[in-house]
Amino acid sequence: MMNSSRHAFLLAMSALLVALSSGSLLAQAPDDPMLLRPPVDSWPGYHGDYSGRRHSSLTQITPQNVKSLTLAWSFQTNQTIPLKSSPLLVDGILYFTAPDNVWAVDARSGHQVWHFSYPRGEGEHIGQRGVGMYKGSVFFLTPDAHLICLSAKDGMVRWKVEIADVSKGYWTSMAPLVVGNHVLVGVSGDFDNLSGFLRAVDPETGATEWQWNSTPPAGSPNQTTGGMTWMTGTYDPDLNLVYWGTGNPTPVLNGSTRPGDDLYTCSIVALNPDTGKLVWSFQPSPHDTHDWDAVETPVLVDGDFHGKPQKMLMQSSRNGYFFVLDRSNGKSLLTVPFGPVNWSLGVDKKGQPIPNPAKEPAPDGRLIAPDEGGMTNYRSPSFDTKRGLFIVSAHPSWSVYFSKPADGTYGWSGADYDVWGTGVIEAIDYQTGKIRWTHDLGSESGAGILTTDSGLTFSGDAHGNFLALDSTDGKTLWHAGSGSHITSSPITYQLDGRQYLVTSSGGVLFAWALPES
Amino acid sequence: MRFLQTSFWLVAMCVFLLAVAAAQNPVPSPQPGNQVQPAPAVADKTYPPELVQSGATLFRQDCSFCHGRDATGGETGPDLTRSRLVRADVEGDKIGPVIRNGRPDKGMPLFDRSDQQIASLVAFIHAQQNAQHNRGGGRKGVDPSDLQTGNAEAGKKYFDGAGGCAHCHSATGDLAGIASRYKGLELEQQMLYPRHAKSKVTVTLPSGETVSGTLAYRDEFTVALTDSSDTYRSWRARDVQYKVDSPQDAHVEQFSKYTDADIHNLMAYLQTLQ
Repeated sequence: MMNSSRHAFLLAMSALLVALSSGSLLAQAPDDPMLLRPPVDSWPGYHGDYSGRRHSSLTQITPQNVKSLTLAWSFQTNQTIPLKSSPLLVDGILYFTAPDNVWAVDARSGHQVWHFSYPRGEGEHIGQRGVGMYKGSVFFLTPDAHLICLSAKDGMVRWKVEIADVSKGYWTSMAPLVVGNHVLVGVSGDFDNLSGFLRAVDPETGATEWQWNSTPPAGSPNQTTGGMTWMTGTYDPDLNLVYWGTGNPTPVLNGSTRPGDDLYTCSIVALNPDTGKLVWSFQPSPHDTHDWDAVETPVLVDGDFHGKPQKMLMQSSRNGYFFVLDRSNGKSLLTVPFGPVNWSLGVDKKGQPIPNPAKEPAPDGRLIAPDEGGMTNYRSPSFDTKRGLFIVSAHPSWSVYFSKPADGTYGWSGADYDVWGTGVIEAIDYQTGKIRWTHDLGSESGAGILTTDSGLTFSGDAHGNFLALDSTDGKTLWHAGSGSHITSSPITYQLDGRQYLVTSSGGVLFAWALPES
Repeated sequence: MRFLQTSFWLVAMCVFLLAVAAAQNPVPSPQPGNQVQPAPAVADKTYPPELVQSGATLFRQDCSFCHGRDATGGETGPDLTRSRLVRADVEGDKIGPVIRNGRPDKGMPLFDRSDQQIASLVAFIHAQQNAQHNRGGGRKGVDPSDLQTGNAEAGKKYFDGAGGCAHCHSATGDLAGIASRYKGLELEQQMLYPRHAKSKVTVTLPSGETVSGTLAYRDEFTVALTDSSDTYRSWRARDVQYKVDSPQDAHVEQFSKYTDADIHNLMAYLQTLQ
């Protein structure tokens, strides 16, 4: 039997432990449970969760009340470069980026907590998609192909490692993906014949754990280079597979030095995240000669396909095709265009398009649909689980592609010119590829898609209008003119019982919510 | 003696005037279209190597994704070494404003850069243009000579028949002399889709009054025109009815119908309309 002083001591120790542990829990976010099942007051990775569906269970904002959506706050970076990152929300702080810059902003007030600025180095400053986070660390890629680890509390540098050699032509821009004890980073670079890769590093030190190479080393005879890992992949914790899209081959417009399919360029690959071993691959664009990366989000959906439950992977690809795969083995379930395509001879037994040699770039030009920017590009699509709709911002388009021997076999090796294009949001029935509804945007928009359980589709047009659409028919329910170009994908979360939508346009971050009662 | 003196001064004046003329026109005027003629032996302006190098670094950071690291064109952006604007630029007087203002209608953002940074970019771009035409060959981009694989007679047949061009166009009317106005790739791009063509719009107000003009702006929420007095007028789309007239959109219908041979033949035919 305990005496009262010992009882008091134990109570005090318990209280101390609780106080310490809750403090340290805050400092240790996001952890694996949070990444696997993000609570509604978080957005702990580029896609929000590991599925890439960018679909929220939040229902406070509805088709009925969205017309009252109002500005809660905005944050101005005072930079001219348009924001391309998806912000992360962890413990009430939003973390977002531009090339060489990371901001931490209070998600309640929009006020800056800290700002990290990397000395302007070499490498293309074309864009930065955001950070990855794990247990109080922020992971950030720079144009000069370094990975920086910052403290989430104050933005101080913990470590820095080189991911690739910027002087060879590599640069980095993607948002790292954290899976277990691995920070997964990818590379960019199309102007040189470079080998693409995905690398896993240790979150504590940045040391390389494994590297998967998408293409052979430069200079391998009759082999391709390229296959850059431009964008962030997705993860299935039950199958323990990461899914990643790879970029186009190099030389870009001239395939003569790289006969065959050019594996693993323009591919969707399934890798074991602990070893980097390739488990399966599927190729949206075999022997590509049009710069059509297959790096769009590999969206993971569990549902019925023609009456049978399936673990699926869906991609609306640059080349104009919508793919549905069985993500356990990479087998094709559906391959169908989601806009005009004129470059293929159809689809083979594997569900892969067959490129038409007559539509490869030529000295006197070839008319190609879609254009080089593709039927869609980096802007995220969304899968609405309630309505079974895959929603994507599409760009039906036409262009002319040229390549002649004088253009050489290094880097771009030719030229392409846009002729005409438009912009339209399409809601695709994933089981058939039929387009259930469309929303005309007038011209190509850079805004990604977010959907919610309450039946809203959030995106933007080409004129800077943020849009809320009815997910059943695509009709506009709310809009706000932002005054600049939208080049990012929206996020949503609930904080203090209030649902926020966060979007960006130009160098400004906007937070929207229903008026406080 | 007087005659000789006069003659001497006349000759001297002619030589002087010729020298001035040569200095003011160091290169032949560029042809319309994308191709730039190689410069004659008169030296192009050379820039200090350090300025060109710092321009090269800044160019890679800001410009190379679209324009290529060597300025010969990358993703979406044109080959600057073939640019008429670059050829006509004097110490950044034309290049500078493009960098500072961007080209929003063509998708180029603006860049807020110091005078020194702009000067370094200007030096690099000029150095690249000079290097390209001094080297000769090996250029990326499209020469008019690349586009001569068609047959003009077949092109005329297509123009008057299956292409449907004759419904709106006439070789002796609106297209007379078209090949003098546009050459090479520019002609082909205009032929496929005339991106500069303006649409007309007629707006019907609730009162029944109609206002017509050139379409100035349209999104889901706002429609605007410039009227016959060049005045800009706009309305909330929900308050009015409007009808847009874009005859150039007939070109879009044709994309899926063309063969590449049709396009080359049409080009051959249009190039006869000098």
